[in-house]
Amino acid sequence: MNPPPMIRNRTTTPVLEIDGLAKSYRRGFWGRRAAPAVADVSVSVERGEIFALLGHNGAGKTTTLKAVLGLVRPDRGRITIGGVDARQRAARAKVGYLPESPYFHENLTARELLDFYGRLLGLADRRRRERTAACLELVGLADDRHRRLADCSKGMRQRIGLAQALLGEPDLLILDEPQSGLDPLGRRLVRDLLLEQKRRGVTIVFSSHIVPDVEAIADRVAVIARGRLVEIKDLRRRRPAPAYRAVVDARAAARLVAPADAGLTVVARDEDRWTVAAAHAGALGALLVACHAAGAPVIDVQVQGGDLEAEFLADLAAEAPAPEVAPC
Amino acid sequence: MLNRVTAVAVATFRETVRDRLFYLVGFFGLLLVGAVTVLSPLTVGAQGKIVADVGLGGMSFLGLLVVLLVGANMVRKEMERRTITTILTKPVGRGEYLAGKYAGLALTLTCLVALMSLLYVGAVALTPAVLAWSHLAAVYLTLLELLVLCAAAVLFSALAGPALAALFAATLFAIGHLTESLLDFGALAGGPSRVLAAVAFRLLPDLEVFNVRAAVVHGDPVAAGHLALATLYAAGWIVVFLVLARAVFARKEL
Repeated sequence: MNPPPMIRNRTTTPVLEIDGLAKSYRRGFWGRRAAPAVADVSVSVERGEIFALLGHNGAGKTTTLKAVLGLVRPDRGRITIGGVDARQRAARAKVGYLPESPYFHENLTARELLDFYGRLLGLADRRRRERTAACLELVGLADDRHRRLADCSKGMRQRIGLAQALLGEPDLLILDEPQSGLDPLGRRLVRDLLLEQKRRGVTIVFSSHIVPDVEAIADRVAVIARGRLVEIKDLRRRRPAPAYRAVVDARAAARLVAPADAGLTVVARDEDRWTVAAAHAGALGALLVACHAAGAPVIDVQVQGGDLEAEFLADLAAEAPAPEVAPC
Repeated sequence: MLNRVTAVAVATFRETVRDRLFYLVGFFGLLLVGAVTVLSPLTVGAQGKIVADVGLGGMSFLGLLVVLLVGANMVRKEMERRTITTILTKPVGRGEYLAGKYAGLALTLTCLVALMSLLYVGAVALTPAVLAWSHLAAVYLTLLELLVLCAAAVLFSALAGPALAALFAATLFAIGHLTESLLDFGALAGGPSRVLAAVAFRLLPDLEVFNVRAAVVHGDPVAAGHLALATLYAAGWIVVFLVLARAVFARKEL
């Protein structure tokens, strides 16, 4: 029996390769007007890396991801997943996908929903039960497995979305704005989950328009503007030590920041809020968890890793005006 | 393939059941109670006919309502909410997805009609009339008609928004019951109208094939051969609508 294509090509082939992708949508009553969404994007994603597509709203990130997933037909270009043409169904066998702001079947419970996706993946009964339980545990929703989706908050739906994406133990995770609209704790959870998947060898491609989110976890970032690839930056070579900060309620901070070995330092004390610097990601995580447990408000969380934001804005400014780009 | 179709069908069925769709059965029960208690005493000697008329007609009407409200919205709703993208990015074909959605709603309609039939049988038992097999044959044919309309609604739902899809399905229901009249009208008018009527007659399902309600109310039997032919006729149209839906949906950008 031949091994699955993604395993067969493990050593040489990029996990994802996009070559000269172009896509326009038909507009107008007769569909005669073409509105370009992606003009020319070529990227190659290596195994085990976190690759980000960074661009403003309407830059063409979602269309690029949809083309990869076979949800839209490219006008031009070639896309392969693990060496297999992305248009083939087999190419998606080991791909997990989370759309932006996902909605699921509202009347199913979290467990039923994952069971449904497990069936679509062709998992056997026992394996499906195991993976459903494991994925719900992973996203912190094991206790909410019998809760209907209609009764879940946006953050919970996002986590259930992540769980369904992870259900088939994918080699490639594709996430569209995975941290969009989440509170600081939710963003932290998603970030930790993605880093954990990277440690397990999963390749992650995600889109975002939020520079700190990209900077915090991505190994490489493709800057896309007006449907065109502007630049690919390798953040591993230039990433300074990240600075983690949280702005928390003053009364809670006085209690929670006290231990000297917690890796936390108060850098600003306002009347009602303290800004706390964390020595490392774990210290920040511990502080956020402690705040959550104590019911103390977390006003802001900042992860500053370098000057990517300034570079991104400069890239956008340098990008010559292009034809109108369709929203996607 | 069957597993994936079944998975989509079961999820669709669960969704519709939990959407309180089966409250319609309660409404149907009220209709029957009204027929038995209010109308029947006014029609001495024809109580059975009244219950049969209201019962069989009510079943058809409520089933049509489900097709228009749920079927015509089914695919489009999942497209708008992007639920469909998480399904189709699994190793699931678009044809399998549509077949599963159809099977799920068909199962819902079958359960709905089965429950309404039980109430109907109970209501007939309350009248002096005798429940004949032809009553059950009429229920079966009503279900077949709903299954054909459901397949058409899946096609329309893949083509257009919920309002338009519902309008198309309702129009198909209306024209489907008028195809014979269309032929007569064409023959009377002559010229191009005659050709147009003949084309419409060939291109659209003749839903009168499934309508034996008037005959059953008046005590006429339904031939077994008619049931068999109607079953084949329904299966043929269901396949046609689902194949068309797949062809349309295969090119849809999500």
